[in-house]
Amino acid sequence: MRGVRQVALGMAFSFFILSLGLVYWQVVQADTLLENPSNRRLILMENRVTRGGIYDRNGEIIAQTQIQEGKKVRVYPKGEMFEPALGYSSVKLGASGLEGSLADWLLGIKNATPTQAVQQLFALPRQGDDVVLTLNSRLQSIAYNALKGKMGAVVALDPRTGEVLAMASQPSFNPTNLDKNWNEIISQEEKRPLGEKQRPLEHRYFSLFPPGSTMKVVTSAALLRSGINTTDLYQCQGSTIINGQVIREQNDKAHGWVNYNMALAESCNTYFATFGVQAGDQAFLSAVKGFGFGEKIPFELNVPMSSITQATKNPTSLNTNLLAASTFGQGEVLVSPFHMALMTAGIANHGVIMTPHLVERVLDPSQDVLYEQKPQPWLTALSKEEADKITSAMVTAVTEGTAAPGALPNVQVAGKTGSAEPGGNVLTHAWYIAFAPAEEPQIAVAVIVENGGTGGGNAAPIARQIIQEALNQKVGDKK
Amino acid sequence: MIQRLTLRILILGMMWIGLSLLKLDAGMSRLLWQAAIFTVIVLLGSLMEQLLHYQGDPYILPVVQAIMALGLVFVVRINPDVALHQFWWANIGQLLFYAVLWSIRDYRYFGRFRYIWGLLAVGLLLITLLFGSEEGGATSSFKIGGIGLQPEEFVKLALLLFMASYLEENEELLRVGTVQWGRFSLPDWRTLRPFMIMIAFVLGILAAQKSLGTALVFYMLFVLMLYVVTERVLYLGISMPIFLLTGTVGYMLFRHVRVRVSVWLNPWQDPTGMGYQIAQSLFAIGGGKILGTGLGNGIGAAMVPVAVSDFIFSVIAEELGFAGAMAVLVLFLIVVMRAFAISLRAKDRFGQILAAGIGILLGTETLIILAGVTKLLPLTGIPLPWVSYGGSSLIVHFILLGVLLNISNATAVSSHSTKNRRREYAT
Repeated sequence: MRGVRQVALGMAFSFFILSLGLVYWQVVQADTLLENPSNRRLILMENRVTRGGIYDRNGEIIAQTQIQEGKKVRVYPKGEMFEPALGYSSVKLGASGLEGSLADWLLGIKNATPTQAVQQLFALPRQGDDVVLTLNSRLQSIAYNALKGKMGAVVALDPRTGEVLAMASQPSFNPTNLDKNWNEIISQEEKRPLGEKQRPLEHRYFSLFPPGSTMKVVTSAALLRSGINTTDLYQCQGSTIINGQVIREQNDKAHGWVNYNMALAESCNTYFATFGVQAGDQAFLSAVKGFGFGEKIPFELNVPMSSITQATKNPTSLNTNLLAASTFGQGEVLVSPFHMALMTAGIANHGVIMTPHLVERVLDPSQDVLYEQKPQPWLTALSKEEADKITSAMVTAVTEGTAAPGALPNVQVAGKTGSAEPGGNVLTHAWYIAFAPAEEPQIAVAVIVENGGTGGGNAAPIARQIIQEALNQKVGDKK
Repeated sequence: MIQRLTLRILILGMMWIGLSLLKLDAGMSRLLWQAAIFTVIVLLGSLMEQLLHYQGDPYILPVVQAIMALGLVFVVRINPDVALHQFWWANIGQLLFYAVLWSIRDYRYFGRFRYIWGLLAVGLLLITLLFGSEEGGATSSFKIGGIGLQPEEFVKLALLLFMASYLEENEELLRVGTVQWGRFSLPDWRTLRPFMIMIAFVLGILAAQKSLGTALVFYMLFVLMLYVVTERVLYLGISMPIFLLTGTVGYMLFRHVRVRVSVWLNPWQDPTGMGYQIAQSLFAIGGGKILGTGLGNGIGAAMVPVAVSDFIFSVIAEELGFAGAMAVLVLFLIVVMRAFAISLRAKDRFGQILAAGIGILLGTETLIILAGVTKLLPLTGIPLPWVSYGGSSLIVHFILLGVLLNISNATAVSSHSTKNRRREYAT
């Protein structure tokens, strides 16, 4: 009976090979198969779920799935206003922005409730979770309308909690019927000549720009720590030479005798370059590190890191020429408007930068709270004394300096302008950062208008409108 | 007794849990009635085994019933409309199984009709070829009174009986060989002739029918049974070139064979066209990962073509995952191995050959379709025994099971009585 035994052994061995085949497909290759473009499994799985809604902090609908003529339709009642932060999600285009990064919640996959888990197990049609954002539709709408027709970005934060109140970027796109309009958006952009590209899909609040003079609030930390006396006077002659490099003022304007407050208020480049170099590259590099340069910003969306040199990582030393240029935000320094807003909020919050966040709460389909964001500090950039000194200089900038267009009646605003040279023969980027009220800040704002000219003239008025509305509403105390 | 019943209740419990997990419409009450009848048959059957003192292999039947229950749940899950038929066939199949198990006094009786079996096999195939209707590229089904029959399934039964009786009769001739050819001794042509004719006939007809998977099953059955009986490696050696030759001729002659092979080599080249079936099957299997998507949750049931028959394993692998798919593999492995164990214990040569043949047939069928859906071999559509939808396949496999357990029972009863006699001598 040798034959039977041998055949039996052969069969058993073949079954073993077969089980190896299963291991190969179900374990080794499983993810590759799932990502194969002709595999529609993920999309079909998603179709079984009614995506949760996205709301602003006051419960206004930003995105919602409705049943129209028996079909699920994603509606965006606010149109273009929240794009590109809100993003989109479609079978054809995939997903981006919050619609993409919050998909786990919106589809009810993350921390599924027992009901959702059972529904998932038995493939019952189910409802995803609703997400309430920290964004405020009123502020967002002001930011959006102020930017409309320009190219730029606005970020507004509550410095005490890190809540993002507004986050706008223009030009953007309307998410309604995006599947249909997509090709038109792309082809229009392609038709534009090189210098006039609108980049409607770009998240400009995350794009990296030279910060210009707004950088001086960061450099201030290095100056203050090097032990300079803020009341000492320095004579600004319109330009100076450091290590053979000519440092010029904007329009070659000589500011005359200035102390620290006046230097920041008048945005005196030579003051910051001279004392920045005096403080040394190590003091400067430790100050920027404290503000989060070269650090990954923890956030619901991916924010590129700000950098001092062309390398992403912070350098260990800077040569004098590059250090001098970096002190007033030129050289190779690149910052995102979002990070700029965070640094402003850090000064406002007495030196502590709170972890920024966009999601306030997540509610399951029966409106029980599944998740709630708690304020958490991210970095300590400054001591309270340092923060107070910088704040007082920023107040001076608004009351008697370049930031005057950002002033509001009855409220003390602390601000700083910037006019960053992007390189080439083009208009400067208009920057403005501010927070208010200066003594007990409730909102911090960063504005950039690409090739907008001076910060005071073109960016500060946008921030003023937002701050005014926010203080009228008393943001933070929920309506 | 208790053990026997508990096992059945466990299997039935699994089936009922599975059925209740699926969302059945109100109109499906007829299905539940059939499921109830299935339950009663399983329970009464095990009671009857007790009463009639069944002493054969205790594992095979429960394992097959577990496979059957799993298959029924998945047929209901994939296509509730055809599941009612599947329940009918499962119930009729079980009744036939018990009829075969208990009514055959002596299975050796079958051995007398060997040439009738051979003629029956050939005749069934010819009838299909002449009057059959085409289905899915293969001319293999045949309609009588609105019921589609797959004669090739019944051919398996006829052929197996023919082979077993033929091999038993000519064993010595085939084993020793009478013609000397160099170092090898071959059996003379007179002994081999009917055998060669059968091979040529069956393979030729199947190639014409385009039912390649069945042709492969038959070929493996021939070769392995021949080897089991003669234990001569020479036959395996000869079978390889014949297989390659037939394969090459088939590849050159038939376009569909060429397509099958090229799709097998690279399904990703055209995953929405020619490679659609195998790509969807692999997507489904891969989608299951370790623990599966859960019953009723998979996408494959709707996406994979002919999910209810040829590709049912892909759907099982998706919804029950690697764990479930391995469980199915192990269940089949148990059945095949127990069949060989019965063969080893059988008291007479005919029973040994027949039981081994049944083991080989079940093993090959399972391996070929499962290797096909997992892309280890080119895809050839044949049903997975007891799982795939199809009445003919179910009935035939239950009859085969009946024969197998009849052999097992007969062996046990005879050895029991021999033992008793010896004891009498001792006292």
